[in-house]
Amino acid sequence: MLTKLKRMALGASTALTMTSAAIAGPYDAYEGTTLVVNFPAQPHYNAVMKILPEFTKETGIEVEVDQLPYLKMRERQTLELGQDEGDYDLIAYVVFSKADYVYADQLENLARYFMNPKLADPSYDADDLIDGYVYNIGFAGGNKGYLQGKTGSLFGMPYGSETSVLGYRKDIFEKHGLSVPETYAEMLDIACKIPQLEPGMGGLSSRAASGHHAAHAFLLHLAPLGGRIFDDAWNPIVNNKAGVQAANALKKIIDCGPEGAASFGFGEALGSFLNGDTAMFLDTTVVAGQIDDASKSKVVGKVGWAMHPEGVRRGSQTGGFGIGIPKNAENKEAAFLLMQWLTSKTGDKLVALAGGNPSRFSTHADADVNAKFPHMATFGEALKHADPDWRPIIPVWGKINADLGTTLSKVLTEGLDVQVALDGVAERTRGVMEEAGYYTWQ
Amino acid sequence: MKSQKLNRMTPYVFMAPAVIIMGLALLYPLAYMIYGSFRAWDPSQNISETEFVGLKNYITLFFDPAFRESLSVTLTFAFAVVTAELAIGVGLALLLDRNIRGMSVLRTLFILPMMIAPVVVGLMWRYMYHPTVGTINRTLKSMGLEGVDWLGQHALLSVIIADIWQWTPFIFILSLAALQSLPRSALEAAKIDGATGWQQIRYIKLPLMMPVLIVTGLLRLIDAFKVLEVILVMTEGGPGLSTEIIALRISRTATEFRELGVAAAMSNYLLILLLILTLGMFVITRLQEARAARQARQIQEED
Repeated sequence: MLTKLKRMALGASTALTMTSAAIAGPYDAYEGTTLVVNFPAQPHYNAVMKILPEFTKETGIEVEVDQLPYLKMRERQTLELGQDEGDYDLIAYVVFSKADYVYADQLENLARYFMNPKLADPSYDADDLIDGYVYNIGFAGGNKGYLQGKTGSLFGMPYGSETSVLGYRKDIFEKHGLSVPETYAEMLDIACKIPQLEPGMGGLSSRAASGHHAAHAFLLHLAPLGGRIFDDAWNPIVNNKAGVQAANALKKIIDCGPEGAASFGFGEALGSFLNGDTAMFLDTTVVAGQIDDASKSKVVGKVGWAMHPEGVRRGSQTGGFGIGIPKNAENKEAAFLLMQWLTSKTGDKLVALAGGNPSRFSTHADADVNAKFPHMATFGEALKHADPDWRPIIPVWGKINADLGTTLSKVLTEGLDVQVALDGVAERTRGVMEEAGYYTWQ
Repeated sequence: MKSQKLNRMTPYVFMAPAVIIMGLALLYPLAYMIYGSFRAWDPSQNISETEFVGLKNYITLFFDPAFRESLSVTLTFAFAVVTAELAIGVGLALLLDRNIRGMSVLRTLFILPMMIAPVVVGLMWRYMYHPTVGTINRTLKSMGLEGVDWLGQHALLSVIIADIWQWTPFIFILSLAALQSLPRSALEAAKIDGATGWQQIRYIKLPLMMPVLIVTGLLRLIDAFKVLEVILVMTEGGPGLSTEIIALRISRTATEFRELGVAAAMSNYLLILLLILTLGMFVITRLQEARAARQARQIQEED
């Protein structure tokens, strides 16, 4: 009897072991692995740092983070990705690095990971990810080479992505009976009314400093006003009617802006809004946290949020960061698991509650997230109009962007004629594109 | 015979470590840069994968209006700061070359600006120049004057002022050292002959300090051609290209435009320019020395 019982117990325990092996968790094989990741020092990734211990607790995978200033990241990544064996298992990259990394074959195509049943979580719900972000940051090889499309493929996931929204001073708007601008005409009108209604206050804070800042500010207006840098055959059309309108809008904003606005970088533009020197702020969503932080802001509780005003169409910016797996990574599968966890519904909600920028529609609509950050619903609405093509993501963009930014700075500070300035940009852009081989088929 | 050969080799053996270090640390990077300047080189590529393009990078740059503007900004900036710094630095040294109580404290205070990290200097001036909250405009406004758009309308002047503030002490300290090591006998003789203070400066102190001043000026000039951080932080080269000196353009070409070959060619242009300046200075010094020697010989012959 005893022997029988012993045999039964042995059989039961064997069966139990076998069952547990069969239903082994997806993370078991990677337990104890240490991933080395490269993240920027930026509000979203500061929030990510708070939730990473949760990932380790859940999966047993350790994460070592190399956090760098975002402008330094590119330099380090260029060195790391060019080696036979890199140090990083997962990297966060700025959107305009996508073109270079994919073109240099340095990022993993994510198809083989999402096809692997042992790695891909069936409840991931990729359709919930914000379309504009995925196409802007993750896709390559589709339309124009850098967008979604039938020939495109996924190389990264949006994480810490941003769009543009309009922040406005509720108290000032109420005091003067102004209504929140819905269109560009209304916004420009109010921007220039404010200095008269509130002496000493600027209308709208904008970046305008020479180079990247001025180019960014111009592009923010170009897409909603119906413009593009190139047509479908890569001919520069930045100097068309919409381009001139966008540059004039920027000039008007700066002229009616706070004192010294023409030399403002992003920091100064945000600073003047936080300081209460301007009534509106049209830029990235990433600043929302700082506006409600009493240690940094004098306008806590006074700021309302609205969608980026409409020109001939809606088209807010898409930018920020994505995460991808380098081709030379050591622990690619574990890196994918981290990437999937971070961008999953659970991970996205956790990071949003910690003060990060969510990448999913559902997180923007989530009750808990909205209870903590009431602006999230507006941001979610704005995201439906996020334009993945508001700025070209091609390898030569850096050079064109710099030229555009320095030329526009001359418009803002030296009184260079808008049409002449943009004609010059278009002509030089054509030269750059020609040299890069974009007209080979013409 | 063999030992003789070995003996002849001895100096070379002793020199070898220095030559190897020099070759590795100085010549290899330089050769690498020159080699790179003839190639179309993207930072994602290994240099061996790059394409040879001959002199294309140099020719493109030569006809590039942005590069020419950068070059002109660099020359204006460098000559303006070095002239002003030499004038103020030497002036201060002449004024303070005397026994004043607390002189050592004063001297330390004077050289403080050059001990501050360039990024901090840039940030400090950027905030001082701020149109609304900056110290300078607030002071001007409190005096009933109009505020000045420092980093907008007068960006180049603003960065020149910041550089003068930071680097005048360098000239001052070296000029003071030169002044204090001048032969007292010459000055005493001049005093006995009834030379005024100005005459002493004009005919004795300055000519005797000249070799030190030339080297100091040259060092500052070389440095001024390469200044990067202060301008990067203060204006990022703007507005337009008005403060984009070559060092900044090189950095942007390498990182923003991702054209390492062009950046290398630009560095070589800068190197050639500095070499010409250094050689020019060297020739001037030599000519001056030769003239002084000739004059000395003439005086001796007349005696």
